[in-house]
Amino acid sequence: MGANIYRNKKPAIVFLVPAFLFMAVYLYYPFLQNVFNSFQEIKILGGRGSGLTDPWYGNYVKMATDPIIRTALKNTLLMIAATLVGQVGIAIVLAIMVDNIRIGKTFYRTVFFFPIVVSATALGLLFNLIFLYDKGMLNQILEKFGKTTLTDWKGEGIALLTMMIPVVWQYVGFYFVILVTGLNNIDDSLYEAAYIDGASTWQKIRYISLPLIRNVICTCCVLGVTGALKVFDLPWTMFPKGMPLKSTFLTGTYMYYQTMEAKNVDYGSAIAVFIVVLGIVLSQVVNRIFRQKEDWEA
Amino acid sequence: MKRKRLLSTILAGVMVLSLAACGSTGSADKGTEAAAPAAQTETPAKEETPAKEEAPAAESTEAGPVELTVCTTFAGEDGNAQNFKASVDAWCAQTGNSVADTSATSDETFKTRVITDFETGSEPDVLFFFNGADANSFIEAGLVMSIDEIRASYPDFASNMNDDLIADSLVDGKKYAVPVNGYWEAMFVNEEVLQAAGVATPGADYTMEQFKADCDKIKAAGYTPIAAALGNIPHYWWEYAIFNNQSPANHLEIPTVDTADSWIAGMNDIKALYEAGYFPENTLSATDDETFAMFTEGKAAFLIDGSWKVGGIVNACQSDPEDPSTLDQNKLDHFNVTYVPGQGSRKATDLIGGLSMGYYITKAAWDDPAKRDAAVSFVSYMTSDEVVPLFAQHTASALKNAPAVDTTKFNSLQVKAMAMMSDVTSLTGAVQDLFMGDCRISTFDGMPEIVTGAVSAEDAVLEGLNTYYAQ
Repeated sequence: MGANIYRNKKPAIVFLVPAFLFMAVYLYYPFLQNVFNSFQEIKILGGRGSGLTDPWYGNYVKMATDPIIRTALKNTLLMIAATLVGQVGIAIVLAIMVDNIRIGKTFYRTVFFFPIVVSATALGLLFNLIFLYDKGMLNQILEKFGKTTLTDWKGEGIALLTMMIPVVWQYVGFYFVILVTGLNNIDDSLYEAAYIDGASTWQKIRYISLPLIRNVICTCCVLGVTGALKVFDLPWTMFPKGMPLKSTFLTGTYMYYQTMEAKNVDYGSAIAVFIVVLGIVLSQVVNRIFRQKEDWEA
Repeated sequence: MKRKRLLSTILAGVMVLSLAACGSTGSADKGTEAAAPAAQTETPAKEETPAKEEAPAAESTEAGPVELTVCTTFAGEDGNAQNFKASVDAWCAQTGNSVADTSATSDETFKTRVITDFETGSEPDVLFFFNGADANSFIEAGLVMSIDEIRASYPDFASNMNDDLIADSLVDGKKYAVPVNGYWEAMFVNEEVLQAAGVATPGADYTMEQFKADCDKIKAAGYTPIAAALGNIPHYWWEYAIFNNQSPANHLEIPTVDTADSWIAGMNDIKALYEAGYFPENTLSATDDETFAMFTEGKAAFLIDGSWKVGGIVNACQSDPEDPSTLDQNKLDHFNVTYVPGQGSRKATDLIGGLSMGYYITKAAWDDPAKRDAAVSFVSYMTSDEVVPLFAQHTASALKNAPAVDTTKFNSLQVKAMAMMSDVTSLTGAVQDLFMGDCRISTFDGMPEIVTGAVSAEDAVLEGLNTYYAQ
């Protein structure tokens, strides 16, 4: 027996086939079907197409001229930026602050992580109440401070910011926990040596903490970008149908709108293909920008 | 090593089993179907139902407790939500069956959900749904039973209904949905706001010019004249704005792109009201619930909505929406319901209304021997002479022998609704029920663009009509 098991590849193949079948049935087949659907005329979800669109690439031409998909793409890119700056950025600050306190670390970990375990739909409803125009929490607070007019937090111009705040807030704790774990793995002797050398707290962070958690930050950035591409439930709960004036659509919510509300299943499929391509391109870009380095490279 | 092999084998096995399980849904269902009759020997549901249909003897003896999936619009703020719950409980108690209630508030999302459920094979057993164009897709697919088909096995099914009042399907002219209660769409008013603004409650001769003058007074008094979320539910204003540029005689005729002037004028009328500042400041970003709350809390004067909103207003006047004994009668007395201002050939007393919904029995339930009896029994019970009046109240019904309405059990708003209905000169169906699906998108979802001028009313209407005629 012994090392022979490593030479014999058959058992590995046997064990890999079910996983491959699983992926083929639930991922590759639906994806290929979706690509096919994007060239068909389909008005009923789950129904057969009534033939190819005219021209067969018509949905992609439509997408190129659709002003709302441009809005959705712009909003998605803004969401990615908000994720990197808001989620990962704030998480780094919080992680470093918590790493520098002696008591209460577990408390803060729990508090910051808590929003992750709440369903995004529930959070959407919660923030709906906070941002409510009449008698919403925020407007009531502003009223207490003397503001005489109500602010429409979901109105044109400010809606996108209102949508991004809860999305960013929800996932800060996720990246915070990852980063705190990374900071905990730094050997205390490095900080002790820096202390003996007279380094300030900022210098310890700048020259020890941040360089040694660079790879963790890179991982968080990759997760953040790919996660931002998939954000759906919270924005849809707060801003259904891209309200107001279709200005808050993300690529995911627009695809859902076209498929489920506007009954343009074929166009929704084309948008889905676009989202996949966008995801692959952005993942490649992000991986190149934030590629992990070996410790000696750092 | 052995442990790892064992673990790997188990994991691989689980994956294979999950694939196999997903691929064999049909056989699993068949297994359930086969097992179900054997378990149905305890309660003869047929004997205990109040409905009078005669099911085949073999089926009635085998019938037993089953769970029916029922989907209706009797949920949320619908005035009949509590009646529905009570009636379902009563039917369950009498038959021993149970009901999985998947009801939801009626809106576009609900319609989409129902149609998608049919398309994906997860439709309910019994459905209370619209009988207009919204039902076309599942009727075309043969996924619901016609009343005649049901009567072939259950001759007394819906025999208490006046067939002439049951709507024909737009697909094949057959009757599918057994109606319960009719509906009307009218204008609710918050008289507390009107009094504060020095405006009288509108009457039967109310015109659009008077309405605009009243809106100006209400706005000047610091209130919002019209409670409506144009970015969420523009449906009622859409319907009446078009109606105001037509007449009851031609309202249900969908125009061609060359004869769409009345529709375009209707959209422009809404735009004019928006530009005059009669709608809430956040009308483009608010939900219908928010603007309804403005109305019930005395911040807005007018609300065009359906007869189902009577219950919603009553609920809003109760400190506990579930407990009628907590009703604040004084608050409820501030509400009234009147006619939507008229214009041109449409008098204010010409209302939108009719019998637009009814109970469907799905083919899936009909083909399931365990559920057929129960589904027929359920619909028969809910459309019986005893239950229908509970739902119909101040609206119409299709009963042959409608019992006299006992108004002593009505609240003040229901009584006002009865009085309003007594002077109605015509009830016309909603043309949007014929103008189905994606052709509505450009003027429903596109209403904010129309009123803000981002898209012209003409472009939006023509886009919708082109989509309609391309179907």
